[in-house]
Amino acid sequence: MSKGELEQQIAALHPASFAWALACTRWNATEAEEVLQSVYLSILEGRARFDGRSGFKTWLFAVVRNMAARARRRRWLEARAPWRMHLRSQSELGDPIAAKERGARIRRALGTLPDRQREVLDLVFFHEMTVEQAAEVMEVSTGTARTHYHRGKLRLLALLGEEDVA
Amino acid sequence: MTPGDEDARLRDALAEAHWQDATQTPPFQAMWSSARRARPRRSAWRWAALSSAVVAAAAVVWLLARPKPMPTTWPVVETRWVAPTDFLLVTPDLMTLRSLPGLDPTADPWTTTPPEPRGLP
Repeated sequence: MSKGELEQQIAALHPASFAWALACTRWNATEAEEVLQSVYLSILEGRARFDGRSGFKTWLFAVVRNMAARARRRRWLEARAPWRMHLRSQSELGDPIAAKERGARIRRALGTLPDRQREVLDLVFFHEMTVEQAAEVMEVSTGTARTHYHRGKLRLLALLGEEDVA
Repeated sequence: MTPGDEDARLRDALAEAHWQDATQTPPFQAMWSSARRARPRRSAWRWAALSSAVVAAAAVVWLLARPKPMPTTWPVVETRWVAPTDFLLVTPDLMTLRSLPGLDPTADPWTTTPPEPRGLP
């Protein structure tokens, strides 16, 4: 694949990639942007290479997921650094206005799911991937992805049911 | 609720969760060109690391392959020089030729009787 074709494909998938980066960073837009920037940088530097073993979108989403996981680990370590402890409580408060929106409530419900369940639901129901493709993105077996898919579905439906009652 | 309804509900829910994504998405060209600009900085680090590794490898090779320094004192070696013509000196009865005749110091040379003259053949 030439550089021009690569850029075209990435550009076409940019909105979806950003949406996926948002889901991977629990809708932290700043962090999602940093993650996607790092993904583009690693592609330009040749550290992330598409070898054609999977679909382009699947590969790109897997790179985004790995980069987000790395950023999450780094953030976790930084948050536990003694000189950063006082900042954590402030960032956990969230935006009270956005919390009133239905989208925000669903995001909050999604946030209570384990990462793998949240990821597989997002890939299948928002990015319209099959469970097999989602398994490739998540770098797990199809059986494992299917288990997360079923458990996540049941749990999210239960959470959404609670929301509706409330 | 059928599985199809459940899927449709989850699809709607996820779409609602993502409804603001489009407004937040940064422009692709800005991010791509920004990543492109950031690239040389990283490659400069890579080049620096690579050249340091090459210099270190060259230093190791030079240390291992450099000529050994000359010894300060020559080692003592026991040798016996043999001339190419030495074999000519090897003659029959060599011991007699190289040894001195033994003389009895107690014997008085004046009292000794001269040897009897031998008759001519």
